[in-house]
Amino acid sequence: MNARQFLSGAFLLASLVLTAGCERFPGYPHPGSEAMRPDEVTDFSRLYSQNCSACHGADGQYGPAIALANPEYQAIVDDNTLRSVIANGEQGTLMPAFAQSAGGMLTDAQIDALVKGLRQRWARSGYLQGADVPPYKTDKQGDAAHGQQVFQAYCSRCHVTGTQPLNTGGKTKTSSITDGSYLALISDQSLRAIIIAGRPDLGHPDWRNAQPGHAMSDQEVTDLVAWMASQRQQTPGQPYPAQDETGRGKKL
Amino acid sequence: MSDGKKVTRRTLLMKIGIAINAIVGVAITVPVIGYLFSPVKRKGAYNKWISLGSLSQFPEGQTRLAEFVNPFKRPQDGETAKTPCWVRRVGGNTFQVFAINCAHLGCPVRWFPQSELFMCPCHGGVYYANGDRASGPPERGLFQYDYKVVGGELHINAGQMPTLANEAMAQKEKLVCLG
Amino acid sequence: MSRLKEVYNWFERRLQLEGPIKEAALHPVPRNTASWWYVFGSAAMTLLMLQIATGILLAIIYVPSGGEAWKTLDQLNHQLYLGWFLRAMHGWGSNFMVAVVLIHMAQVFMFGAYKFPRELTWILGVFLLLMTLGMAFTGQVLRFDQDAYWGLGIGASIVSRVPLIGGPLVHLLLGGPIIAGATLSRFFALHVFVIPGLMLLFAGLHVWMVLKLGINEWPMPGRVVRRETYIQEYNEMAHKDGVPFVPDALWKDLFFSAGILVAVAVCALLFGPYGPGGQPDPTIIQTAPKPDFFFLWLFAVLSYLPPEMETPFVLIAPAIGILVLLALPFVAGVGEKSWHRRPVAVLVLITVAVSWGIFTHLGVHTPWSPVMDAWSGDPLPQKLVHSETALERQGAVVFQAKQCRNCHSVGGLGGQRGPALDDVATRLTEDQLIRQVLQGGGNMPAYGKNLSPPEVNALVRFLETLKPANRPAAVDASQEAQAQLGK
Repeated sequence: MNARQFLSGAFLLASLVLTAGCERFPGYPHPGSEAMRPDEVTDFSRLYSQNCSACHGADGQYGPAIALANPEYQAIVDDNTLRSVIANGEQGTLMPAFAQSAGGMLTDAQIDALVKGLRQRWARSGYLQGADVPPYKTDKQGDAAHGQQVFQAYCSRCHVTGTQPLNTGGKTKTSSITDGSYLALISDQSLRAIIIAGRPDLGHPDWRNAQPGHAMSDQEVTDLVAWMASQRQQTPGQPYPAQDETGRGKKL
Repeated sequence: MSDGKKVTRRTLLMKIGIAINAIVGVAITVPVIGYLFSPVKRKGAYNKWISLGSLSQFPEGQTRLAEFVNPFKRPQDGETAKTPCWVRRVGGNTFQVFAINCAHLGCPVRWFPQSELFMCPCHGGVYYANGDRASGPPERGLFQYDYKVVGGELHINAGQMPTLANEAMAQKEKLVCLG
Repeated sequence: MSRLKEVYNWFERRLQLEGPIKEAALHPVPRNTASWWYVFGSAAMTLLMLQIATGILLAIIYVPSGGEAWKTLDQLNHQLYLGWFLRAMHGWGSNFMVAVVLIHMAQVFMFGAYKFPRELTWILGVFLLLMTLGMAFTGQVLRFDQDAYWGLGIGASIVSRVPLIGGPLVHLLLGGPIIAGATLSRFFALHVFVIPGLMLLFAGLHVWMVLKLGINEWPMPGRVVRRETYIQEYNEMAHKDGVPFVPDALWKDLFFSAGILVAVAVCALLFGPYGPGGQPDPTIIQTAPKPDFFFLWLFAVLSYLPPEMETPFVLIAPAIGILVLLALPFVAGVGEKSWHRRPVAVLVLITVAVSWGIFTHLGVHTPWSPVMDAWSGDPLPQKLVHSETALERQGAVVFQAKQCRNCHSVGGLGGQRGPALDDVATRLTEDQLIRQVLQGGGNMPAYGKNLSPPEVNALVRFLETLKPANRPAAVDASQEAQAQLGK
């Protein structure tokens, strides 16, 4: 009798557990838990963390490439530009093409999802409205000679040119923004974008705050970029470093 | 009673019965061996020339993923009838068509245009843009398919999973027919 | 006489099973074998029954077709009442079965149970182990997801290495020229008919011999097995100091089997069914195939073999391993059974277990596999980016964009195929870095053709920043000396 009661109790318990609590077990596979086809993923967070975060930073900042979590940047760049840069890469930089049509791995729908997500997450609506913002793109020819004066006025507080050493806590390193290798890896358009939008995450001011209280004009930005472009070298990164006194090879 | 070697009618009949069964059994089973071995075909028997589509999909100097439906397919194959491959257009009508399968153990290699390398996710085989082995466990470069250009389309000679026993390319010299 | 007894007698008169069953159940076994060490065999049998039962339940729904298999598994997981649980039970049952069979085998080996007269019991056991592994592999194929697809590719690539008949063998394995519907069908036949049928037959004979020859006695140092005397000694032991198998030994088996079933069910409820992973569409190449747990060691071994050793090893080592197992009872069929007097056996078992554990651990972490989207997904440490100059930061972009990260980790993220680069600047000077990047070597591809001079320059500048703040950068001794002389 006892055994029978025990068995029927166990049976009852088991059937209760299995009928009522099925979906509460951690092992229950919830719908959609299966691996999706990678080309059907349109979740922004997943797409961003798989394709963008290595260079643009985990939260759109503190990456080696331009910060996307930057309302200034989001305000000056339009959807079409973003889409085309993601799809086809940025000429003259290391930004690769991600669209399948350009040899990448993302579909058009995924690129749209990225653009939409970037906007939703980091753009502020109405930001910079009414402000005198230099446009993202320009067709104007810059004046390189004037650009050098612009550099002196706005940038030379932090940046050095040529082979001037920069003193960082006892250790000298050349942090020249006219370094041939640096300029060879960045396009005029990217220079323009950084000058205007800045890198708030790294403390690099935007066009309004390079000289506090005195914003740069469109013309000044254009001239500055033109001057930097004029510093590009024919064969950047080529000459094998001359030996300096410390014994360590240093490049120009 | 089986004293000595006396053969009675019954034991003889039984032996004949066994023999008949053996003969019938062999007659039935030998053809079944053929049935079991029917997938085995001689080299190239599964291969066919298949189009990968118009040349315009393959920009010069680039390597792109292409896919084709295997020429030998059955209705129950579903998605597995499809096969991907990497097409490198060296220039003009000169191509290299690489199998997706790593020469090590057949995992799908992926092309990285930035560093111009093929990498395999399984055991870390790496190949250069021209398919040569760069590093890792593979003992040879990527398998390549024979190709020809017909009427503005790229055709490859494919149909079997490339392995070390079937290296995809039948002849070393490549056929280039202008259509 | 009750009605029940009448019915029983009616059947017994016709079946006449009572005698043999009683004889089997009540046969005396040496008292010391009624031990918890002797429960693994019966647990393996219980798990086999569980696998058959859950397997049949799954086969009611499953369609072994290249186009449908994945969908029916999806249906089992999501649309059928308890479907997910049965899949989970079958999957975890398989894991437990492999584990229990391995433990059973290790125990039997340690206890010298393969010695006279139980040689054939051992040999059948070896085949049962192989069939269990075969079931695990074919079962993974039946899951027909990306891992199954590419796992078959690995299988075909291994088979293709057989000299002369490699090509035909690949066709036989795949049932055609490619991995497709026909491949799945033949693995279905193996998994559902051929191997289970053989397993039942072998397991039946295995148990039959255990009953007929008696369970192996608890080994004692100095109690040596001799062909001439062993059976007599054993029978004396079983009768003088024996207990009936039922119930004195059986109750432990029953408890353990029930415990194992509970463990399988708990795992199934907690961890759920295995996959299925992504659809078996070969054009989805963003996949990193990996075998199931019990084949991870093999996966690891295959990645560590030097290329020239691989084919001979893969083809010859398994054959040697199986031959050694089969030959064991003939080579060491008599003599000491106790592990106290068999140091070689103990060492062999420990070595095998430790190597298996190490390779499995490596297989879990796959340090040899590049992480295919590390270059685009794994961010760099914030502090590092913050303290860099424009050129170094551009070098960091080169580092990411050129897929260096796929094989080299920084800040714990990235591939482990190559060394972690967190302190590379303390190990390599600028010249050495340039050389390594351009020429590769030490299992690294040469990037010379794929990087422009400014890219190399920027990259090396970035790499030079990769060192802990409190450690000096690597110094070229000869250049240092020259500089000293100059002064």
